[in-house]
Amino acid sequence: MTSTLDQFGSQTSYAEAGVGAARTLALTNGMTIIGLAIFVFVMAIAVYAWRSKAGGRGWWIVGGGILFPLATLLVLTVVSATILRAITAGTGPDSPVIEVTGHQYWWDVVHDPDNRALRDANEIILPVDTPVTLRLLSDDVIHSFWVPSISGKMDMIPGRINELTVTATKEGRFRGQCAEFCGLSHPLMAFEVVVLSADAYDDYLERLEDSARDAVTPQQRRGMEVFLTAGCTACHTVRGVSENGRLGPDLSRVGARASLGAGMWRMNLGNLAGWIADVGDMKPGAQMPSYNHLSGPDLRAVSAWLESLK
Amino acid sequence: MSRSDRHSSPWAVGLWLIAGVAILLAVALWALGKPGKDPVGNAVLTAQVALQDNMDFLRAGPTDGAPDWEAASMVLHDADAEHGASLIEQHGCGSCHVIPGVSRAHGTVGPSLAGFRDRAYVAGVLPNRPGDLVGWLMNPTVHAPNTAMPDLGITEAQGRDMAAYLYTLQGG
Repeated sequence: MTSTLDQFGSQTSYAEAGVGAARTLALTNGMTIIGLAIFVFVMAIAVYAWRSKAGGRGWWIVGGGILFPLATLLVLTVVSATILRAITAGTGPDSPVIEVTGHQYWWDVVHDPDNRALRDANEIILPVDTPVTLRLLSDDVIHSFWVPSISGKMDMIPGRINELTVTATKEGRFRGQCAEFCGLSHPLMAFEVVVLSADAYDDYLERLEDSARDAVTPQQRRGMEVFLTAGCTACHTVRGVSENGRLGPDLSRVGARASLGAGMWRMNLGNLAGWIADVGDMKPGAQMPSYNHLSGPDLRAVSAWLESLK
Repeated sequence: MSRSDRHSSPWAVGLWLIAGVAILLAVALWALGKPGKDPVGNAVLTAQVALQDNMDFLRAGPTDGAPDWEAASMVLHDADAEHGASLIEQHGCGSCHVIPGVSRAHGTVGPSLAGFRDRAYVAGVLPNRPGDLVGWLMNPTVHAPNTAMPDLGITEAQGRDMAAYLYTLQGG
């Protein structure tokens, strides 16, 4: 049986796919090896001292107790600082900016927030080999943004803008997770990162400018009708259909995401219908009310319409 | 040579008969002395054992030794219950149903599927038997137009595997 973590791409620092994760992994491995060597060396000296009849010598204390730790820590500090600089460097005035706002328990994503302000949610598309500035905000409590395969984590603090530079180096699908306890459904607050080629990223941004896909079948049209009349529009936006909802995730391309409920369930008709009918069961503490007052056919229609928005 | 010489005399017929009986007796004695080397006897014995097995199978029942036709009728031949469980997980059935043995399947939108094998009806509209259950899984809205359960585009082969898994859920 697959776990949730395996389902939506790697969520481990060991499968590195970004500059930050790669450098941090190298630093970790180096520190572990050096630390082990020092440990073995110190133990060897301890055994030697235990067996030796002679008394201690002053230069051992000065050298091993003061100079050696000082030198080691100095080297580590310099290496760490250099790596930190390398990780955060590389963005210029033309680099992509993505604004990510943490909400209980989902992620609002705005590409190019200063100009086009193209909104999506719960799935962050990144161009490969391009340093990107992530502008991290929170709308309610402290969250923390963490995609282990790509970069280190950064807190999202209400009233503050934290910036994190990430450079993804491999195309693919990676999973991120809120890394700061933020409430009842904190463990269910994940997201996906999809790394695309630069061209595919531009195509994706263009699609974000267009209206959502048209309702084609009678069932999809009925679903759109249900969406407009049942109150969904108070919180959700679907471009070209209703664009005032800001409290919940943008649903303009909800069916195109691989996951539902912020990186937690597979995106499919069954899970969508279950989600709409009983949110509280799937994500306790979520703001969205359960819509089990919809008739069976209405529930199926609105699920089918949302699933068709790709 | 005259034509009559080619016909056997009554004596000769008697001799042939005695020789034949003697050969039969010898074979029978040999077979009796060495059971297991007699191909005809072995075939008979095998057939007898197989027949007995079939009779035992037919007679075996939950209580009174009567055939368990009911259990036999709940079997989906060549369906893979384990694969069915992973299909159930993939299609998100767990967001609406409690399904023992499927990870995170604790939905309360629809009925629990625990002990599904003992359920009399599927969704209250179809008798709970393999063909009807597979038909329901493939196309619930055909059988119950007002149901909240969506058509998930399940193929017959997938439906058979899923039904096989559901029929492993017994009791509790």
